[in-house]
Amino acid sequence: MRHAQTAVLERGAEFTGEFATEPYEVPWAAEARFFVQVIDPAPGTVTLTTQLSPDGLNWIDAEHLAGVELDTTGVGMVTWRVREFGGWLRLRGAARPADADGGTHPTGRGPRLRIHLVAKE
Amino acid sequence: MSPHLGSTGEQVRRGMLAADPALSRFDPLPRILTYDNFDTGTNGWTELIGNYDGNGDLSTVDDHMRDFRPPQVSNCTFFDTGTHGALTGDYALKLATRPYVGHTAVAIRRLTMARKGLVQLETHFSYKAEATLGTDAGNNSFGGVTWDGNLHPSEAQFGAFTVATDICGDGGLRYHTVMRYRNTTVDNELDQRWVYPVVPEPTPREHLEGKVKLAYGDDFTAPDPADWQPASEPMAMCYNEVPTKVNWHYLRWLIDTDARRNVELQVNDTTLDLREVPVPAYSDRYDSLENLLNFYFSVRTHSGVRNFLYLDSVLVSVDW
Repeated sequence: MRHAQTAVLERGAEFTGEFATEPYEVPWAAEARFFVQVIDPAPGTVTLTTQLSPDGLNWIDAEHLAGVELDTTGVGMVTWRVREFGGWLRLRGAARPADADGGTHPTGRGPRLRIHLVAKE
Repeated sequence: MSPHLGSTGEQVRRGMLAADPALSRFDPLPRILTYDNFDTGTNGWTELIGNYDGNGDLSTVDDHMRDFRPPQVSNCTFFDTGTHGALTGDYALKLATRPYVGHTAVAIRRLTMARKGLVQLETHFSYKAEATLGTDAGNNSFGGVTWDGNLHPSEAQFGAFTVATDICGDGGLRYHTVMRYRNTTVDNELDQRWVYPVVPEPTPREHLEGKVKLAYGDDFTAPDPADWQPASEPMAMCYNEVPTKVNWHYLRWLIDTDARRNVELQVNDTTLDLREVPVPAYSDRYDSLENLLNFYFSVRTHSGVRNFLYLDSVLVSVDW
């Protein structure tokens, strides 16, 4: 049976501005998949970029994956697959309120997100 | 000695242990409950989270118990030398804190008791602070430790690691046996002693009842530093100078669930007699926890630098 592991990297933190998830090691895995859920909406979007690292300290955007945009106006979920990633994964994110060009976010807060990483050998 | 085998059977048992390269580095009691080698996955060691409401609303989890971070299967890879690997095989279980003062990462293993008696946890472990890269000369000194070619400031950036239980029986009587290696005080000074808490861990119910409210980075095991008492003199470990050298330490911890107390803790060549260490029980009785026998490891940073605890393997054995 294949080894598989699911890590809940974030379980409802509020995200504003730019952020990065904690480094996570999956050197044993051949494939992975991120799931990002909006569990408390805030009008706007979040752009999510998969990042790779050889050592958990130095990070680079995955060369084969475009950033994923998640509409955080309502609850919803996005997912994407990752392969040939080396040993370390994290997400770089940028949360943009709906009125980013106009100043302060109307609710004064960002969306709360749940982020899963599922890895298999 | 096993009560069931007799002296000859015991000799056979010990001979078979000695002939097994995986088990001969442990000294188990007669029945092995769990043997976790993290070359095969996380083996039931999972993230701890506080309790929550009937809707799965995790915002109802206490602030200090909602972000203990998922354990990772790590091959101990570092920026300077690449993959280190574990004591045997490639992989160890790694607990990693956030780079936030007070943040704690926890992995828990959930069992129950088929009988009461002696219970022993053994592991081969290592601990590290995360390496720091850059050009800031200030990084050459921390917590009174200055890089001199041998000593490395990252040793003072490691806070503490803890091995503990959560046990309940006898109609809801709940208690924890807890041993913590306090590498540094919360003020980042090297302390390097084993300590134990004199109060039971705050619980979600106490929070709901308004008795306690802890902040995100508070110490979930015993929040007041004054509630930790020394169980040993300073005991130096093999940190091995830099944050990327992993040396494995042997730990053996014996408790008695019949007497509800610690018995002894062995770390490499030193054994502490813990029979007089008090183990406070909760005054309240707890439902739905009968025969609970949980173990957890935690790692806590006092510096705002990520702290790591690596476990090559863990074995839990009993005399019943």
